[in-house]
Amino acid sequence: MLIPHPLLGLRDAQEFTYLGDASLIHRPDGMAENAAETFFDYVYLRDNPAGVHRELWFHEQGDRSWLVVTRDTTTHEILGAELARDVALAAKGGAQ
Amino acid sequence: MRFSGFRVIKEALTGYKGWGPLWRNPEPQPSYDYIIVGGGGHGLATAYHLAKVFGGKRIAVLERGWLGQGNIGRNTTIIRSNYLLPGNEPFYEFSMKLWENMEQEFNFNAMVSQRGILNLIHTDGQRDAYRRRGNAMRFAGADSELLDHEQVRAMYPWLNFENARFPIKGGLMQRRAGTARHDGVAWGYARGADLLGVDLIQNCEVTGFRIENGKVLGVETSRGYIGAGKVGVAVAGMSGKVMAKAGMRLPIETHVLQAFVSEGLKPFIDGVITFGAGHFYVSQSDKGGLVFGGDIDGYNSYAQRGNLPVIEDVAEGGMALMPAIGRARLLRAWGGIMDMSMDGSPIIDRTPIEGLYLNAGWCYGGFKATPASGYAFAHLLATDRPHETARFMRLDRFERGYVIDEKGVGAQPNLH
Amino acid sequence: MTDLAPMTALGGSLARAQSFGALAIAENADLALASLAQRRGAAQPVPMGLALPGPGLWHAGNGMAAFWTGPGQWMIEAPGRAAEDFAGAVKQAAPECSVTEQTDAFVAFEIASSAGAAPILSLLAKLVNIDAAGFGPGSATRTGLEHMSVFVIRRAEDRLAVIGMRSAAGSIWHALESAAARLQGE
Repeated sequence: MLIPHPLLGLRDAQEFTYLGDASLIHRPDGMAENAAETFFDYVYLRDNPAGVHRELWFHEQGDRSWLVVTRDTTTHEILGAELARDVALAAKGGAQ
Repeated sequence: MRFSGFRVIKEALTGYKGWGPLWRNPEPQPSYDYIIVGGGGHGLATAYHLAKVFGGKRIAVLERGWLGQGNIGRNTTIIRSNYLLPGNEPFYEFSMKLWENMEQEFNFNAMVSQRGILNLIHTDGQRDAYRRRGNAMRFAGADSELLDHEQVRAMYPWLNFENARFPIKGGLMQRRAGTARHDGVAWGYARGADLLGVDLIQNCEVTGFRIENGKVLGVETSRGYIGAGKVGVAVAGMSGKVMAKAGMRLPIETHVLQAFVSEGLKPFIDGVITFGAGHFYVSQSDKGGLVFGGDIDGYNSYAQRGNLPVIEDVAEGGMALMPAIGRARLLRAWGGIMDMSMDGSPIIDRTPIEGLYLNAGWCYGGFKATPASGYAFAHLLATDRPHETARFMRLDRFERGYVIDEKGVGAQPNLH
Repeated sequence: MTDLAPMTALGGSLARAQSFGALAIAENADLALASLAQRRGAAQPVPMGLALPGPGLWHAGNGMAAFWTGPGQWMIEAPGRAAEDFAGAVKQAAPECSVTEQTDAFVAFEIASSAGAAPILSLLAKLVNIDAAGFGPGSATRTGLEHMSVFVIRRAEDRLAVIGMRSAAGSIWHALESAAARLQGE
């Protein structure tokens, strides 16, 4: 698989290590009332879709960026990649 | 129809006219007491034990394709009970004992061969860990032996003992472990279940669950609605997809694992050898092919095929351990989809939906568990109590903090 | 008092060098390295008059060079200054950045071709999974080489540098030597 790195172009997936579902970016509030339940959900439960999956890949043998890669788990076709930093900042309303 | 040596000779002399199909191909009934979703090894073993041991009646196995089309039909055939943790080891040893009596019990040749498994040791730390594991195995009634360098050399003199990074210092041996004919296991359980009156329904995909007031009433299928008292799901890599139809999210990711077979060679590997440090394990089939594999590819996949980097990694591991295979040609490679759980251990449990039960999370090690998984799941379905050896394999263990993490790597399935 | 003698990453008293046909591989023991990271929101610095390159690039000037290692991060190289406090000099020139001494963390190998670009491209194709044709002079990237993490820099048409972990110096040399020797045999 070749991952289209937003800064470096197509790179061999071997240069990356895989973490899993991109929802892991959105860590719940550990001080909230229901933190035990939300953390159980966050740490252990997955949608695990057969089809389009947004997932975190770390460019370890590269520029050490975390990417959010969109990939079809039934074909391994890679549909796009973004810097996870941009995704996380956009979720926070774009504030730096 | 019973199989026997006499029968084989008689059929050979009479033109094989007496052989018939091993099981019926029935139409689905409107309802059953028990429906098992998934006609793989675990589903068939569940139906067999449910009928045979627990006196279950009106049982159906629903399979979306053909019986044994999934991981039971494509694996590296290893059976063993060399686990460490008390949540696992008694269960796998129970499974080992079922393997030892399986063929006589269901009168089918599953080619169970107790040729031994050797886990190689390269460092003092690893020897300590394997000594501990060997002791844990003995606590559960399994056999284990710690071999030194010379004992391993006597068994397999052609291994690369002087590898600079991973010199071989010894091994943990389980002599009762070995291999079995994977398809034979599926066919034996299928035939055994059919003889006990279980309806094995192929080309019947479950498309949904009918659930009212938190209780399952039956399943929607590609061949119409089928009512059920209890529904047990044993669909391995498809667990997430199937249970999503019941509105459940699971502590499971689906990953791809590749395995390989070389061209046939003269016999030189008597047992199973694992080179954990180099991500490689191997055995030799009765036909002479080297059957080997390594790690999962490491990313979510339902594709039933992997990618080249892992093939290269496995080949490198093989060459580091046994340079003699360098000229052997690869005959076949395939990928199967694995239900990788968040702690690397399985789940045999009720679900929050009454009457719906789950058997999943076998990761890349479900084959060896087939008999005990079926027995324990049947026990649960029949009695609503977990089988003694499977009592830690609970679905809610993650929430309660009772994970069974053999490798101690935490909630990251691709590391288990 | 103990008589301390410096040794190179490969363990010799002199840097190792060997030729394989058109390719010459040399351990570069005199290369000073310092990493530079820009603080969030700060302007991109121009340390000692050196313009810092964009993603995937290497740029030389003023007796130094820099290559991009990640967003807002660069490695600064200075040939012949390994024995000096080069990181201190960079920090003085870019006080608003985070600067870390890297000389002794890495080993550098300089590869020169006496037959133009072709041997360099063949070597690249053997060693790393990057598109050699698209990796022209002025390109730099981190990638995997026999499972080790290395920086590869195309310093010129006929020159390549491989910078990797100092503790893996022997393994990197072995990889380079084997690949170059095989090319010689082809």
